[in-house]
Amino acid sequence: MSYSILIVDDSLPMRSVIKKTIRAAGYGQSEFLEAANGKEALKLLKNNWVDMVLTDHNMPVMNGLDFIRAVKADAIIKTIPVVVISTEGNESRVREFMDSGAAGYLAKPFTAEAIRDLIVKFLGEASYDEDYSDSNENLDF
Amino acid sequence: MMKTILTAMKISISEVMETMFFLPVEYSERLAAKEVKMLKGKQNKACCLDFCGDFSGTVYLLVPSRFLREMAENFMGEPGDLFGDEILEGTLTETVNMMSGNALRKLNAGSPFQLTVPRLIPGSEFPEGEGSIIVKTTGPEMAVHITLQ
Repeated sequence: MSYSILIVDDSLPMRSVIKKTIRAAGYGQSEFLEAANGKEALKLLKNNWVDMVLTDHNMPVMNGLDFIRAVKADAIIKTIPVVVISTEGNESRVREFMDSGAAGYLAKPFTAEAIRDLIVKFLGEASYDEDYSDSNENLDF
Repeated sequence: MMKTILTAMKISISEVMETMFFLPVEYSERLAAKEVKMLKGKQNKACCLDFCGDFSGTVYLLVPSRFLREMAENFMGEPGDLFGDEILEGTLTETVNMMSGNALRKLNAGSPFQLTVPRLIPGSEFPEGEGSIIVKTTGPEMAVHITLQ
């Protein structure tokens, strides 16, 4: 099954790593949208439906927390699960993310398994018989 | 306080380098200030970010250019011959972000720390003196420095 996933992170390498990890976990047919901050992500969400959003917190222009609040205040997109992947995650910060409407939290640095578990939790198990055209990518995770 | 932060930072550096870059690291026991001065004389890339919370300061990261490409290759899982500045500098700034956030999380402070977006700096601006950690890698050494306000 094909999903649409929005990755929000100001780091181009990090967006690429997350995308490759998800593909390698069996979701190779999925479509990926990318944004470098919360404001860009909101623009994308106005014109594109996605099944899930993965967002960093510490970003310029609009951080992850403000982005989550904006998503949850919008009647049309508020049901989309938004998961935070961030280095900032002491107990009170994570509570702040969750109280604002985040569906989950994953700390950086993360393992490939942690990303896979996260995707499975929200999108279900990948069907491994799907044609994964990028399966030869060298991913050492 | 500085000793506690440096200990947390060393654990964090090891976790980030091993989990995200598959590179084991060790820490030099030699005089850090002297090592930093030598590292600054080489071709390198540097960046920093500020943090504030129960205490505030800045974390600096200095990585030799050649080793930064190796880090980016391991991070991205592809040959780095064609990596441009955006990938290399993005890898550098993401590394200092992960090292800093992960270290500050370990300090278990009452209120969360605010981290700024990392910024690139000339290698010559990397500070010398107390608060430096020399990180021994499979390749050249790199350095982390913490200043407290």
